Amino acid sequence: MGIVPEISNVYDDLSAWDNLMFTGELYQVEKSERKRRAKELLETFGLYDRRNDKAKDFSKGMKRRLTIAMGLINNPHLLFLDEPTSGLDVQSVLIIKNVVRQLNKTGVTIFLTTHDIEEANVTCDRVAIIHKGKIAAIDTPERLKKTIQSVQSIEVAFDKASQNIMKELESILTVSEVRKEGDKFRLYTNDPATALTGIWEYAKTNNLKPITINTLGPSLEDVFVKITGLDVKAERRNFHV
Amino acid sequence: MFKGEFSTAQLKADLSASWAIAKKDMRIYYIKPGTLMFAILFPLFMYLSFAVGKNAPAATLIPGLISITILFSASSIGPMVIPTERRVKTFERLLSAPISFYSVILGKTLGGFLFSLAIAIVPLLIGLACFGTQILSLLGLILGLALPAFCFATFGIMFASFPTENPGDIMLLLNFVRLPLIFISGLYIPIESLPDWGQAIAALSPLTYANDLIRYTLEAKTTYGPALDSIMLLLFTAVFLFIGRRLDKKFRK
Repeated sequence: MGIVPEISNVYDDLSAWDNLMFTGELYQVEKSERKRRAKELLETFGLYDRRNDKAKDFSKGMKRRLTIAMGLINNPHLLFLDEPTSGLDVQSVLIIKNVVRQLNKTGVTIFLTTHDIEEANVTCDRVAIIHKGKIAAIDTPERLKKTIQSVQSIEVAFDKASQNIMKELESILTVSEVRKEGDKFRLYTNDPATALTGIWEYAKTNNLKPITINTLGPSLEDVFVKITGLDVKAERRNFHV
Repeated sequence: MFKGEFSTAQLKADLSASWAIAKKDMRIYYIKPGTLMFAILFPLFMYLSFAVGKNAPAATLIPGLISITILFSASSIGPMVIPTERRVKTFERLLSAPISFYSVILGKTLGGFLFSLAIAIVPLLIGLACFGTQILSLLGLILGLALPAFCFATFGIMFASFPTENPGDIMLLLNFVRLPLIFISGLYIPIESLPDWGQAIAALSPLTYANDLIRYTLEAKTTYGPALDSIMLLLFTAVFLFIGRRLDKKFRK
């Protein structure tokens, strides 16, 4: 079993190589195997060139990679990963995601704890949503989405936007909620066809040009919101920047 | 293998892990100029500040100086290392490894034990080189240094069981106990010269037996005899380990 906590708990005063050697000793990995495995892991995580540098000189992403490498030194069949990619640079995220995929292919069972719902959606075979310390739902991501098939949405981006665009979009027939996602707006509806007509009319009336329009099924985030009973509108009302 | 279930393989694995923890601790925390200087200079000045000016021959100061050096160096390691590792979450790494709790504690104790042995050699060499101190029995000396070093290392570990991430919190608590020990353990006034109540209090201090054992190996003088000193130090070690484990369990809940 391998355990990788949320905090990168490496020994700052030891080199990357010594961190792996120590963890190997702790897990009773034979010396020759320890060395072979350490070399392999450092190469996989892109740290082999920095193997003799102390971990205190590493960036956050490099420390995270080293922490995961330490969790893999004993070739575990079961791996617990707590927020493996949270707040990391792109390179580290890509390396870690790739390693997780490869490990899974080789038969390693991975328990991944994450607040990044999209990460869970694209990485996991099964997802458990934990609410107030209890498992509220557990299934494959697609099956979970099917449970709320009634929640559909339209993603739309215009070439320009008025100040009251959120309220105006919310007033479109059958649109129950509007969320701003970057330069896009996500309109929730139970009748996408009617809502689409309304969007076209709104664009035409306000002389707006739609840049993107996508109709979307429910996301895992929608499932999460529904299951946990999170009131996004209320949250938004209470959140003032 | 369930934790607590005994097997030779598990014992071997635990001992090997303990040694790995001790080596790692020594590399990271002990072999640093600041730590070494603090471990040597602090007990030296502490002892001399009370011993200088007395009419006793210089050679008779050496056993006391060795005792106090072992007390301070061995008991400081656990309280310094464990809270620091709690703060940076590396202690969790040890606790989540497939080894017993005692293996982790033994590793931490071994580090303090070896560190204080190495430090204790300094006042011993000073005594041998400058004050005519003699080693009456090499085996006795090894025991005389090893038993107190191990005992005081577990003493420090017991204090380190308090669930704090700040070494200063434990050091404060530790010094409340450690400093009075210096005055009640026959380092400055021979046990025999103490009143009955003083002798009774001295008998409760592990430093009394450590000092008596070291005095026996260097001066052939003893109050309790080396056998009783050794038994008492082993007993104190077991008690410190037991209390440390109980405290850890209590605070972990």
